[in-house]
Amino acid sequence: MIEAIAVLTQTLAFVALAPGLTGFIRWMKARLQGRRGAPVWQPYVELRKLFAKERVVSKTASWVFRAAPFVVFGTSVAVASLVPLVFVPTAYDRIGDLFAVVYLLLLGTFFLALAGLDTGSPFGGMGASREMTVVALTEPTVALSIFALALTAQSTNLGDIIRQTVAEPVRALGTGHLLAFTALFIVTLAETGRLPIDNPSTHLELTMIHEAMVLEYSGPYLALVEWAAALKLLIFFVIAANLFLPWGVAFGWSPARLILAFLLIVLKVGMLAVLVAVLETRVAKLRLFRVPELLSASFVMALLAVLSTFLLR
Amino acid sequence: MDGLFSQLVVLGASGMLMTALIVLWRRGVPAYITAYRWQSWLLGGLTACVAYFGRDPALYFVAAALILLKGVAIPFLLRAVERRFGAQREVRPYVNTETSLLAAGILVLFAYALARPWMAVTMLPTRAGLPLAMALLFVSLFIIVSRKKAITQLVGFLMLENAIALLAVVGTYGVPLLVEFAVFLDALMGFLVMQIFIYQIHETFDTIDVEQLTRLKH
Repeated sequence: MIEAIAVLTQTLAFVALAPGLTGFIRWMKARLQGRRGAPVWQPYVELRKLFAKERVVSKTASWVFRAAPFVVFGTSVAVASLVPLVFVPTAYDRIGDLFAVVYLLLLGTFFLALAGLDTGSPFGGMGASREMTVVALTEPTVALSIFALALTAQSTNLGDIIRQTVAEPVRALGTGHLLAFTALFIVTLAETGRLPIDNPSTHLELTMIHEAMVLEYSGPYLALVEWAAALKLLIFFVIAANLFLPWGVAFGWSPARLILAFLLIVLKVGMLAVLVAVLETRVAKLRLFRVPELLSASFVMALLAVLSTFLLR
Repeated sequence: MDGLFSQLVVLGASGMLMTALIVLWRRGVPAYITAYRWQSWLLGGLTACVAYFGRDPALYFVAAALILLKGVAIPFLLRAVERRFGAQREVRPYVNTETSLLAAGILVLFAYALARPWMAVTMLPTRAGLPLAMALLFVSLFIIVSRKKAITQLVGFLMLENAIALLAVVGTYGVPLLVEFAVFLDALMGFLVMQIFIYQIHETFDTIDVEQLTRLKH
């Protein structure tokens, strides 16, 4: 019972912290570019504003368009309940593993693409087609880099992987882990629509991918989609941080451990956020036709990660 | 202790392999040079690590020489060559980027398969680095044959040389200091000769695209 409440609290923390991460990256980017930047809590203010607005839905839109934001947000929250943020549950750990995480997120993306097509606007269709191109290339990479981790830990369960890495810390320095982390990081940028694959801060540009799909949304729908996007970013960051550098994740219930775990995960995610902000300040967006090259590079890295864990044991 | 040592060796060697993969993806010559510099620093660090754990003080000198020569001097000279020719980009290598990345993956697999019996006979804690060194060897050979510009081929050659040095360090804890220095000087001489060649090619053909060399036949 205690564990159910704890898992619920953890999921709520996930959902509550996600817009903060987006705000932090935006603020950090602004500082790096010499601007003052909006405060870190700006996304919360935007979400409140959007929830108060009316929803405008195109006459040609079907139920898919209305259902998609809930599916996207719902799958994100479901995934958030599976990923260990500060502690590894023991009983509720068996509900879903890494494959569930990946394919639940993919389900959300699929519905978002459907919604983009649904209204029949040219931008939506273009965004959906591009998103599907990117996802078709990232999905095998995610599966392979997860496979590399699962091979080392002998399990696809998130908690087991974390336990194994904590038990054998030198493993985290191996070729497999290093390559898988790089591959997963590139995929994180692609899946969450960051530079150099997609530009998160522009609207109405011919190169946009994610923004093109959600262009038709307004009001509370848009708020849900934005919130889900922020949540997805946080989920990928926490997966990268906790699976590859799991130290500090709590296994027990002592309050001191939990607080330490929370501080450490904030630190780890903060470091990843700074890394992304620096990267986004330094690189320009890739031309769309070079995106498959980058993604195939990450695919080869994931493939090598699997090979290395398999052959170098 | 041995576990940490072998993991550090694997980490360094896989970092070096990754810089070679980055070269396959990037196109600008400055990116090639940066990747080479990173690779040389990693090689130097790895040699120092072997010196520390293998208790072989002579290797510290090798590490210092590696970093000075390959990590500082050669990248500096490469930059000078690159500046002289302006922005030369490896726009169209013989093999396109996706194919060359996949080919590199297959080469790495081949190297792993090749190094398996070797790993079975040696008991050194550094043996996990052997397949990676072989893989780096093949990938840098692939860089040489698949690029068109003389300067990018030169970077491929230098990476090949790094791979051989890595193989020596992880396979035998480094060859004697004298041999090591002779190899360094050979590499430096080779580099200087190639630099002169590049200047000559540029003077004759107004480009450093080696495809133009076929014009010599007529």
